Amino acid sequence: MTVLVVYMDVIREAIARKWFLALALSTTIALAIVGLALRLDVVDGALAASRLFGQILDSDIKSIDIALRPVFQVGAYAVYYIVMVTGVFGCSGFGPSMLAPGRIEHLLSLPVRRIELLLGTYLGVVTISSVIAMYGTIGLVLILGVKTGYWNWGMISAGWLAAISFAPIYASMLVSSLIVRSAPFCGLVGISLVTAGIVAGYRENLLALWEPGIGRTAFELLMAPLPKISSLAQIAGHSAASAPIDPGEMARLVAGSSVFAAAVLAFGAWLFEKKDF
Amino acid sequence: MNAIEATGVVKTFAGFLGRRPRMALCGVDLAVPAGMIFGLIGLNGAGKTTFIKALLAVLRPDSGAIGVLGGSPEAPAIRKKIGYLPERLHLPRVMTPLQFLMSVARIKRLDNPAQHAMHQLERVGLASERSTKLGGFSKGMRQRLGMAAALIGAPELLVLDEPTDGIDPLGRAEIRRILLEERSRGATVFLNSHLLSETERVCDRVGIIASGKIVRSGTLDELCGTKDRYKLVVEQSLDTEEMKQLGFASGEQPGEWICQASDGEALMARLDQLRRANVCFIELRPEQKELEEVLSDVVNGAKQ
Repeated sequence: MTVLVVYMDVIREAIARKWFLALALSTTIALAIVGLALRLDVVDGALAASRLFGQILDSDIKSIDIALRPVFQVGAYAVYYIVMVTGVFGCSGFGPSMLAPGRIEHLLSLPVRRIELLLGTYLGVVTISSVIAMYGTIGLVLILGVKTGYWNWGMISAGWLAAISFAPIYASMLVSSLIVRSAPFCGLVGISLVTAGIVAGYRENLLALWEPGIGRTAFELLMAPLPKISSLAQIAGHSAASAPIDPGEMARLVAGSSVFAAAVLAFGAWLFEKKDF
Repeated sequence: MNAIEATGVVKTFAGFLGRRPRMALCGVDLAVPAGMIFGLIGLNGAGKTTFIKALLAVLRPDSGAIGVLGGSPEAPAIRKKIGYLPERLHLPRVMTPLQFLMSVARIKRLDNPAQHAMHQLERVGLASERSTKLGGFSKGMRQRLGMAAALIGAPELLVLDEPTDGIDPLGRAEIRRILLEERSRGATVFLNSHLLSETERVCDRVGIIASGKIVRSGTLDELCGTKDRYKLVVEQSLDTEEMKQLGFASGEQPGEWICQASDGEALMARLDQLRRANVCFIELRPEQKELEEVLSDVVNGAKQ
């Protein structure tokens, strides 16, 4: 119950922050630009060719779902990684703001447990990033749908996969703010983890480049627990392009990200309990 | 019943990068009876804020026991009965006073948070600013809002760290009035203030903390009163030399004289001398030291 109160307060504060208004506005502008710049010529209903910024994407006239695959795939990747980057920068201030001297003492004097404060803040920020991700994705789906007459709801998976992938990233950012209370440091942790997560997705390919030894083992161990950001992005892209995806692999990746987030939050809760303010 | 009970509270801050550990509290023992205004005074770095944070479980002591309102300060049920104003309250700039107080009321699980918030805003004189963003608030306004937040839910214990800091003289008088109202309601007020005159005006008991220990505690009379010195106000005195010969030293104000007498009999003998010299006195009271003087004596004594 108290988690819900903290959660709602985070949402209220986020709504009041001008940064989020700016983000919503810039997302809308970006969607409008895409909507106006994208020239998609639909020929004979089910057949189409696509042009982006006046450049034809493929010379052959194809069935519309096949012709638009690259567009949807690029759109899914764009949504996924834009959500990651804007989420990291947009949400890096929440943890340090909650832990600011003079605020955290006041919060801790109220009838709220530290773990409730941590969870409420975490869930609030993850919800905000999810809403922004879904706003951008649904906006793109609508624009492409109106333009082409072909409604690709598979693209929405890019939005929710981005939200799922951001959850462990933000868990790490929030917990890092318990160690160093600084928004830039939080942002740095987030970007580093996104980068490491991209590398982790190509772990198997990269391992082949390493000579057997301590370095390779260290790389393997370091990459093993990380959320595989690039692998989830590929699934989002495949889903948007109506390409076949392995549900088992997707479930494994989503579960891995969730376990990583839970482990980081558990460590954060322990750290928070031990910490003096 | 005691609202606050602390026994042997020790807190040491670890030293990093070659710095020596610092012992902020060195065995604090303190009992604050319920329903009174208690003032904690001491120099900078004496451990006042650290003790307050330990009282609220914002930091955990290394050893010792702290009981607040008959329970542990860690328990949410106990914390619901506490109102706290930190020394430097950080307020979210994008929120309005009403939103901020409603958030506090919601965390305290009070019915009708808006009503509670408005009532406290009216009490501290910020009702007209209820929809102004906190980013534009002056220091005094922020402090008033912090006070309102502490008062939300009619807490049984108010812990106030420098409540009048940054507030203008009229505002201070309002804060004093609120504190006295809270005491009348039955609440206990634990006050930490650098302004000794404020402490003298409102506190029933005062504790002096020096080097992480409560070195003296008692009522103002117990702390500031002297056992063998009396202050006398006369209508028309003799000249200074003659008064000195009678055993009276001049006081701070014109017509004010100080005499020393070990007991009532010695005092009467001195007064008889005055009467024989046809000096009419209109006021006689035990001399009270200034709290500042007491603090200085106690702190210097603790250093030695």
